[in-house]
Amino acid sequence: MIGFRLAGQRPPEPTRVTDTVVTRYEHVYEVDPALMTEHIRQHDFPAWETHRIVASRWEHLDWMHAHWADSVVSADELLADPPL
Amino acid sequence: MTATTVSDPVVEELVQICGADHVFTERSARYNRARVPAPFPVHRWSEYVPDVVVLPTSAEQISEVVKLANRYRIPVVPRAGGTGLTDGAVPLRHGILVDVKLMNNILEIDMDDRTVTVQPGINMLKLNEELKPYGVIYPDDPASYPCSLVGGRIGTSGWSLIGGRYGHTRDLVISFEIVLPTGELIRVGDGGGPKIRKSSTGYQLKHLFMGHQGTLGIVTEATLELVPRPEAEFAAFFSYPDYDSAWRSTGSLAKSGLATLAGVVLFDEWKLSYLRRDDEAYIPQPDSVRCVVATAMYGTTDEVRPAAKRLLRIGQESGGNYLGDEISQGDWASRHDRYATPLHGRTPSGQVVPMSWHCEDASINWTALPLVREEWHEIVRRLIDRHPIFDDWGMFAYTNGAFKPWGDYLTEIDVGIWEQELDDESWAAWVQAKRDIAAVAVDHGGSISACHGACREGEVDLVPREMGGGFDVMKRIKRVLDPLNIMNPGKYLLDQAYEEGEPS
Repeated sequence: MIGFRLAGQRPPEPTRVTDTVVTRYEHVYEVDPALMTEHIRQHDFPAWETHRIVASRWEHLDWMHAHWADSVVSADELLADPPL
Repeated sequence: MTATTVSDPVVEELVQICGADHVFTERSARYNRARVPAPFPVHRWSEYVPDVVVLPTSAEQISEVVKLANRYRIPVVPRAGGTGLTDGAVPLRHGILVDVKLMNNILEIDMDDRTVTVQPGINMLKLNEELKPYGVIYPDDPASYPCSLVGGRIGTSGWSLIGGRYGHTRDLVISFEIVLPTGELIRVGDGGGPKIRKSSTGYQLKHLFMGHQGTLGIVTEATLELVPRPEAEFAAFFSYPDYDSAWRSTGSLAKSGLATLAGVVLFDEWKLSYLRRDDEAYIPQPDSVRCVVATAMYGTTDEVRPAAKRLLRIGQESGGNYLGDEISQGDWASRHDRYATPLHGRTPSGQVVPMSWHCEDASINWTALPLVREEWHEIVRRLIDRHPIFDDWGMFAYTNGAFKPWGDYLTEIDVGIWEQELDDESWAAWVQAKRDIAAVAVDHGGSISACHGACREGEVDLVPREMGGGFDVMKRIKRVLDPLNIMNPGKYLLDQAYEEGEPS
């Protein structure tokens, strides 16, 4: 069985975002580990695995946009080009 | 009651019809087809296991299987993706489960009359991948878009996320072939040939066989609508400080009259609280973001850009604060695939527990949304007080009209269920909560279900009340078309059609 090698790329210590959420990387959030002690325990992830999962998610969302239409119109751009 | 045990001679005949490689009696093949993602009494799993599974490859094989079932009086349960959120594909009386997944071919792409004809086991995402080189799409877009199948969409009369622009399954399926409960193969549609969209000849039978939850037959082929593949997509999410302003803004956006508007989605305060636990888009939002309204448009670039400007103006003038491209575009893309969302809930003390997702859906008029929301949350609150294995995950209200996104809304309350902890008492409490939720929908002039179907335990008890005299007609139709109650027995209270004293 192949397991994660946490020592391969140890993640940074978390900082608190809200009462129930912590973060270790910008825009990446985790449930507060204190809330995962009774029924489900958090897994230890090396940094590269977290980055891979986040990148895969964005890749999936980009794929879905391209699946449905040739282009995506940006509201930020439209709002920057007044009047509406 | 139809519940004859499948015997060896039956299996032998099924092998003769479908071939040895397409008939399964092994435990894994049967247990894996016992349930769907709808709430399921897992402590009673064995009560819902089919006796035998067949994977036919043709309409003729399905017809022969159904005729065999009539000869031996064995229940037949059709199953496509098995992703439905009601119990349509659950074998309540065991019997023969007909899984159509091997019938997944595209039979014809007609670019002149703009149709595609497919078998029922094809998935919409895979179909649209094949259609992309032709510059067209089949725009049926449920939350199960990557995993549900065309046959199941017809069986449930599904709802589409972008139905406000393109219509829902009933509007997008032009005609289909179906094996009736007695084995005859017929084609139903809007009339005339398989590619006619509008006819005034005879009864409109297509709708009779749309959303029957497997009680009136098995679809073997369908001719579907093709529309031009959109050049442009636009999504805009707005935030609001309270439900009332978000609800009013939803009404203004939905009634904008913009033809490219595909849908408007209202997230209530409970939904925002839920998303703040785990969703990276909502965790960093300030406390002033209490409710959200999502909008999306599709069409040519020349249509979408000016319409988007107008939509942004309406959203802002009705109190919305635009949340930015990252959340709007990212969250919208994720809405095509809600079944991939990892699910965990919380105990009342906040501890994370594994939970399955369930949503009770209804069709509710815009004017009734605020009251229904309050009553539904109160029902779930009382349920959680008594049984902390449930968790309130908030409500969405999606525009529900076809081609014109106003008037009524697919209204859903999402409830997390810690299924491993279910027992008879908590299951009974859940069923009663479902019954109460359905009663609220009917009391407010709504319908029990906008997209899932209403044959689950609990809400099904309210179906006669919602349908009135129509339910008696439904029973008569069932008895005429399925005289031996072979086809998916036990659903929709239709056993009543066979009780003594019922008119035949």
